[in-house]
Amino acid sequence: MKEELLQIEKKASDEIETIRDLSELEQFRIAYLGKKSVVASSMKQLKALPPEERPEAGKLANRVKNRLQKLLDEARNRLESGKTLDDSLLDVTLPGREPARGTLHPITQVLKEICRIFVRMGYSVLTGPEVELDYYNFEALNFPKDHPARDMQDTLYVSDKVVLRTHTSPMQVRVMESQPPPVSVIVPGKVYRRDSDVSHTPMFHQVEGLLVDKGVTLGDLKGSLTSFVHQMFGKDTSLRFRPSFFPFTEPSAEVDIRCVICKGKGCRTCSNTGWLEILGSGMVDPEVYRFVGYDPEIYSGFAFGLGIERIAMLKYGIDDIQLFFKNDIRFLRQF
Amino acid sequence: MRVSLNWLKDYVNIDISPHDLAERLTMTGLEVETLDPVGHSLQDIVTAKILSVTRHPDADRLFLCRVDAGDGEVPVVCGATNLEEGILVPMALPGTELPGGLKVKESRIRGERSAGMLLAEDEMRLTDDHKGLMILPSDLNPGDRVSHALALEDWALDVAITPNRPDCASVIGIAREIAAITGQKLKRPQIKVTASSTPIEDLTQVTVDDPLGCPRYAAGIIRGVELRPSPFWLRYRLHISGVRAINNIVDVTNYVLLETGHPLHSFDYDRLRGNRIVVRRAEDNEVFTTLDGQSHSLNAEMLMICDAERAVAVAGIMGGLNSEIFSGSTNVLVESAFFDPVTIRRGAKRLGMSTEASYRFERGVDIEGVPIALERALMLMHQLGGGEVAKGFIDEYPKPFIPSVISLRIEKANSLLGSSISCERAMEHLKALEMEVEKLGADILQVTPPSFRVDLIREVDLVEEVARMEGFDEISVTYPSIKSSDEVEPPEQVMAETLRETMVGLGFNEVINYSFVSPNTAELLMAGEESPLRSFVPILNPLTVDQSVMRTSLVPGTLETIRTNVAYGMKDLRLFEWGNVFIHTEADTLPHEKPFLVAVMTGLFNQKQWYCEERNVDFFDIKGIVEVLLRTLGFRDTLFKRGEMPPYYNPEISSRVYLSDHAVGNVGQVLPKLMADLDLETLTAYLFELDISALLERTPKPVAFKPLPKFPAVFRDLSLIVQRQVESGKIQEIVKREGGDLLESVHLYDLYEGGKIDRAEKAVTLRICYRSREGTLEGKDINRLHETIIERIGREIGARLRET
Repeated sequence: MKEELLQIEKKASDEIETIRDLSELEQFRIAYLGKKSVVASSMKQLKALPPEERPEAGKLANRVKNRLQKLLDEARNRLESGKTLDDSLLDVTLPGREPARGTLHPITQVLKEICRIFVRMGYSVLTGPEVELDYYNFEALNFPKDHPARDMQDTLYVSDKVVLRTHTSPMQVRVMESQPPPVSVIVPGKVYRRDSDVSHTPMFHQVEGLLVDKGVTLGDLKGSLTSFVHQMFGKDTSLRFRPSFFPFTEPSAEVDIRCVICKGKGCRTCSNTGWLEILGSGMVDPEVYRFVGYDPEIYSGFAFGLGIERIAMLKYGIDDIQLFFKNDIRFLRQF
Repeated sequence: MRVSLNWLKDYVNIDISPHDLAERLTMTGLEVETLDPVGHSLQDIVTAKILSVTRHPDADRLFLCRVDAGDGEVPVVCGATNLEEGILVPMALPGTELPGGLKVKESRIRGERSAGMLLAEDEMRLTDDHKGLMILPSDLNPGDRVSHALALEDWALDVAITPNRPDCASVIGIAREIAAITGQKLKRPQIKVTASSTPIEDLTQVTVDDPLGCPRYAAGIIRGVELRPSPFWLRYRLHISGVRAINNIVDVTNYVLLETGHPLHSFDYDRLRGNRIVVRRAEDNEVFTTLDGQSHSLNAEMLMICDAERAVAVAGIMGGLNSEIFSGSTNVLVESAFFDPVTIRRGAKRLGMSTEASYRFERGVDIEGVPIALERALMLMHQLGGGEVAKGFIDEYPKPFIPSVISLRIEKANSLLGSSISCERAMEHLKALEMEVEKLGADILQVTPPSFRVDLIREVDLVEEVARMEGFDEISVTYPSIKSSDEVEPPEQVMAETLRETMVGLGFNEVINYSFVSPNTAELLMAGEESPLRSFVPILNPLTVDQSVMRTSLVPGTLETIRTNVAYGMKDLRLFEWGNVFIHTEADTLPHEKPFLVAVMTGLFNQKQWYCEERNVDFFDIKGIVEVLLRTLGFRDTLFKRGEMPPYYNPEISSRVYLSDHAVGNVGQVLPKLMADLDLETLTAYLFELDISALLERTPKPVAFKPLPKFPAVFRDLSLIVQRQVESGKIQEIVKREGGDLLESVHLYDLYEGGKIDRAEKAVTLRICYRSREGTLEGKDINRLHETIIERIGREIGARLRET
């Protein structure tokens, strides 16, 4: 028995060095110190020994048991504190096993960000047809036939009555036609114009906004768009509202922000004006209410339209609008 | 519109800097797009008097001049053809830098000393005139600074005129706006025509056959006028405005057009047959040659100016070649009229022409300004060309202008603007804009806009004027309260968001292609005659053939994107696009717009890494993507079945995608021939298309929680040998059917072909998990069920157990 115990002690102290985790350690514990372990059975065998051998054997057995317990405790401490046996093997600079990850198109990302801001303010998101009736794209937005205002947007025609929508504004009419006030919607989507050069693509994206209710004012329009600009471009971005003209709003305002590139000092991006035009807006024209049957004596509201490519270019510092639709993977992977 | 600041200053005092002026105009609605210095950096040019001219002894085309530039006599070599003793010309002394960067130096030209350079107008970038040296007025003295003496230093403002403000498409119009916003008074040009005793009625008659198309027509005549180049000041102003100078008569019509905004036309009086004017509609298919030499076929909608026999101008758009002013003209009939905007616009569109005149008539000119512009032109022509002006002018104006009268409720204005502008303040603003305003009680103004403000018709138009004058900046910022609504988020948006995010998480890059494509894409996709891929929505006026129809599929754009990227050396691609296709139908005016999700994978599934080998993409990679997507949407009934595929798929390596028996899309390898057609024969591409409308018709089964199992599961592996053509899905189907309530799951985890297996067969290994809700399963219960399953599989598809 003495021989046996010493052998066990030796084996265990060798083995403990190879244990790499706590589950292996538990196996070790069961094997050497558990109820069915050699140590436990030796303890039981003590009684069978002649009385004169018992004290010495008992002493040995206890010593081995304590020693094993000590090894076990040490190993547990070591493993629980995360130390490995050989402390130099893990090369943390090896590339990790990265799962593939893709990217959303930058336009989609900007659209999402804009929509999130307005949804937080309480607007609902709607979409509408891209091939649209002349009636919704122009007529009901107070662009009469044979009116020079139509020259503001170079149109791609499908027929006399059907166009590729030149803006997301037709949804203003469709929404108001389909529900009574109050209305608070934004409409993201693709729009089309017959225009292709260094700074124009024949397809681009807009987000339209419309709020109609009792007592909505131009001050509210300023507040909503100021809040939007601050959330989109930062609290310290100043903006200005400039009188302008759109057939479907009166008064109309274009909104400029302080050039994000030069901070207003004047640079190429802002044509040395220090300002960048980012959206058109205004109070909904009573003529539009007439088309949808709202009473302008009771209700008022505002509408706005944002050009997404422009905002994405400013946000990411992209200098060529054509890149958005070339779909060069080296471009797309940057976002 | 491009306008000279000095010219504006003729009509209004401007005591703020050009930059401040541009800012003020921009902030009140006339956006100044650019502000450019003109005639600057000419400070060093001096007046030189030519004392003598002799031929250069050694060059045929050069002359030797002695000139006095204020500092004694100096020699200059010059090649100009209008050299003359005694004239005054501009001169750059040595050291002067000309606009454009040329630095003038004292030099020897063919052996003769030249101490400077005598200048033509274009060399100073004043106009594009290079006919000879610029001749300066004789009242200058040698050495005088030319820039100062001629007021050359100027600024050009490029003002964007919105379609509602035709009254600002003129120098006086902009000056009037400046006067209103800076609190100055407009100084109108003095008009005084010195007329002869011959009354106009003796010289011509005007008949307006179409008073709707031409509500007012005025004409004046100047006879014996001498055609010559206009003086410098006039040419300089035209040049800054971007108008080419021609001769004094034509230049005056252009000058007055720019000054007043009123288009005029000058006819050669002697070329008007019967010396008279008739205004009538054109006849269908009447042919007419405009003064630019273009021949046009007319229609009855167009309004024509005619003489006794024939058309001489397209009213309000362009004059005719047959009656224009030419070098021999001496007698001129000047037209000043008001034409119906819609008539002019339709005519101009029809002719594909847009002129300075048509631009203004379309938008609406000041009908009350007709005689003013006419008299202003006659006065200037007389000043610049002599001759005699006939007494009076013809004015056909049957229905005089009645101004609109608009009520403005101040409270309404304030409630729309969110402002508290007083009645008095609003009155001030409107009066500054030359409106007549009367107070009709505490809160209501009665407003009569001037005749040139064709845009002011309604109360809200006046609200805008008040707001603009007050300044949008003055309106304080408030926040609307938006009422909550019970609308649900449209399911398509929820799905778009989920699918996009999932695709990104799965390693795909989103692309956006144009919605228009070439009609050839139908051939590329090998679409059959009846295929909806051919139901194109054509664009009537496309930019290019490649963008001439709306896409009926997202596949061509996606394939083109592969091609673009392969050209850049990028072959390992995972791309997706979410977008609409457009299907033309006979039944509906608008095409059907249907959203699709399309994705492709090409090249390597993964690159070689330190922990694994590289591997090409295959069918099961893309199939797995479809499975994950549909599962993410909550669908549990996705099925893949062979079936008739669109022709652009490899029929051997593709499948249709179903939710139960509902087709929702396709997945598979792109047909190699199609890749070859795109010059991509070395690349294999895998594609899927999901029809989002079809997905939206299916509602995923709502998640119903199942209590967690209380009893242990039993796993059994099952290795089978089956004929190769047997679909593994069939085996799993039988297992599920026969396993009933006790079957928890079945998972195919090994497939083996070749080796010891017969070539016609394959080995399939399944792990089946059994579990009961009622208690711990005994081995013998399972054995019985397991054997039944094996037996059924054997009977139904001829499978046998694989011997191990």
